[in-house]
Amino acid sequence: MMDKKNMSEDTRTRRIKRNILTYMIVIPLIPLFLAVGISFYYFTTALENSSTQSLKRIVGDHRDMIESFLMERKSDLEMVTRLYDFESINRNQIIDDVFEILKNKSGAFIDLGLFDSRGLHVKYSGQYQLTGKLYKEEFWFREVMEKGRYISDVFLGYRNVPHFIIAVKKGAGADAWVLRATIDTLFFDRMVSGVRIGRSGEAYILNKKGIAQTGRRSGGVNVMEKDPEFSAFPSSGSTIHTFLKSDPQGLKFLYATTWLKDQEWLLVVRQEKKDAFRFFYYALYASLIIMVLGIAIVVGMSFFMTEKLFTRIEQLGREKKDLGNQLIRASQLAEVGEMAAGFAHEINNPLQIIKSEHALIASIFEDLYENKKIDPEDQEILELQDSLSQIELQVSRCSDITRAILKFGRKNEAREQLLYPGEQIPEIIKMIEQRASVEGIAVFQNIPVDLPGFMGDASQFQQVMLNLFNNAIDAIMEQHPDTGGRLEIQARSKDDNWIEIRVTDNGTGIQPEHIAKVFSPFFTTKPVGKGTGLGLSVCYGIIENFGGTMDVTSRVNEGTIFIITLPKADMEKQAP
Amino acid sequence: MEKLKLMLVDDEKRYLQTTAKLMEKKGIEVVTAQSGEQALDLLRTREVHVVILDIKMPGMDGFRTLRAIKTLYPPVEVILLTGHATMDSAIDGLQSGAFDYVIKPADIDEIVNKAYEAFQKRRRLEEKIRGLTSGSGRHGLDE
Repeated sequence: MMDKKNMSEDTRTRRIKRNILTYMIVIPLIPLFLAVGISFYYFTTALENSSTQSLKRIVGDHRDMIESFLMERKSDLEMVTRLYDFESINRNQIIDDVFEILKNKSGAFIDLGLFDSRGLHVKYSGQYQLTGKLYKEEFWFREVMEKGRYISDVFLGYRNVPHFIIAVKKGAGADAWVLRATIDTLFFDRMVSGVRIGRSGEAYILNKKGIAQTGRRSGGVNVMEKDPEFSAFPSSGSTIHTFLKSDPQGLKFLYATTWLKDQEWLLVVRQEKKDAFRFFYYALYASLIIMVLGIAIVVGMSFFMTEKLFTRIEQLGREKKDLGNQLIRASQLAEVGEMAAGFAHEINNPLQIIKSEHALIASIFEDLYENKKIDPEDQEILELQDSLSQIELQVSRCSDITRAILKFGRKNEAREQLLYPGEQIPEIIKMIEQRASVEGIAVFQNIPVDLPGFMGDASQFQQVMLNLFNNAIDAIMEQHPDTGGRLEIQARSKDDNWIEIRVTDNGTGIQPEHIAKVFSPFFTTKPVGKGTGLGLSVCYGIIENFGGTMDVTSRVNEGTIFIITLPKADMEKQAP
Repeated sequence: MEKLKLMLVDDEKRYLQTTAKLMEKKGIEVVTAQSGEQALDLLRTREVHVVILDIKMPGMDGFRTLRAIKTLYPPVEVILLTGHATMDSAIDGLQSGAFDYVIKPADIDEIVNKAYEAFQKRRRLEEKIRGLTSGSGRHGLDE
């Protein structure tokens, strides 16, 4: 029954514990998740926007720069066509002078050529030998003759080196002439790819067919090669597009694209997603770390707090139970004591009569001897004598018991005085040292002389200690009949208010089922006639009367510890 | 030496008989009474030096009897016979003028010894009183 009750109590405690733990963990975690989650969401959204916006801005700025570069170079040529007519520019050395001037203006020019309306390369300034070549059928020539000006894609041409040209026409019909400049692709490449964004950002230009017009920092697609990604890019429109896409190698990139040069070239700026959104990842990691730490702290604290709380609750429960037990024990003892005292008192009257009768018989016997009416050597008379002395012995045994009971009930007689453990206990130990050493028991004492005093009756205290010592010696002798016995007496200041005295033996110990009864009157495990069973109950009553408590712990075959706790006397009563 | 005259007061008749017999054997003159009332009654007519008085008795208990004896017959010494429950009252008894107390069950010898002590005290007191009165008498003669 008891076990079952304990078990259900146990499971109930565990369930409550689990519930408290769950609440303590879950409730703080909800705001944590909300706070981190919401701030993570808004923060990353803002970051994503700002990353995309900055890429958009870069691509826009870059487009404007490239457009204005191309426009400027075209204007350079147009200025020349306005300053010179065909005759004057066709004179010796003039083309070289003009080329010098242009080169000074922009390092992008590599050469300059003059063509008549038939497409004949009349004059040339540059490092190739192109004079005299006929360009009538070239695409660019036809375009410029038709539209008046032309900027080509990158192509190889006669020189077999990637380049692009800018050409402008002056005049009309057979008098028309064309001025053509070649732009250094290296220079242009540098300008286009010169944009640097983060670790992996790059910019490049593709033409309408997806052919690379410039190189790129990451390599991959070279000039004049087709970009396999081209088909995935937005085909037209002047707006800037941004999007996320994996490149053929599987790396994710953030792209920004825009068309320029009258929708002929596509400017692409891209950056690895990891790079572009690195602050996003920092935020993610930070959030994760905060989360993990938060969870760890909440869980850890919850466990710690719950454990602490429950230890305290259990302790309180135990204390309550102990107190309850003590109260029950005390009231039981008081009741039993009262009953026993009444009983003893009633027994005393018949005992008194028996005693008197015995005395009378003894006195009559004496008279008979004196008058020689009986023979003191007679066997039957001797038996009577023996029986008589038994009566005396048994009556005195009864009277010992009743006196012990009466002492147990008699509490108000004590003469309270200030007693110092450091003085009292060693004196009492002296009384049993002789017996202990005869029995081969080593007595150890650890009693500081400066221990504070307590209020109590000296002879009662002596009675308690002697009782404990004698019990201990009896128990030791049973366990260690020859040698190896140990009796240890310790006293210490337990805290501000209590003195603790411990009597430890390595005797037989007390059976667990007897532990609860050792302080009960008439409880004894000694053989009939050897003990009244009152010793410890009297001790208990005395210590209780001193305002203290008495407790016992024991292990069978290992020994027993009696613990007396006594209240320290008030400070003003203590000797200076 | 004057014979000790003792009165035993107890509600147990058999105890009175036996104890009286034993004491008479020891040369003590014994009067017995089974109650406080009877004791006071007997004291009016009999000369008694010491009273052995049981505290717990039906009717008039030992205390009331003690106080009555001490009021009516101050020279009579009283020894109380007590059990446990009356221990505190035993002390009260001493304060009310009892000579001593004996705890039950008591040896007859213990009681007798105490009785003689009380008897001696009484005799010393009587001698003192006699000395004083004769001294004052002599003093009176001188005048």
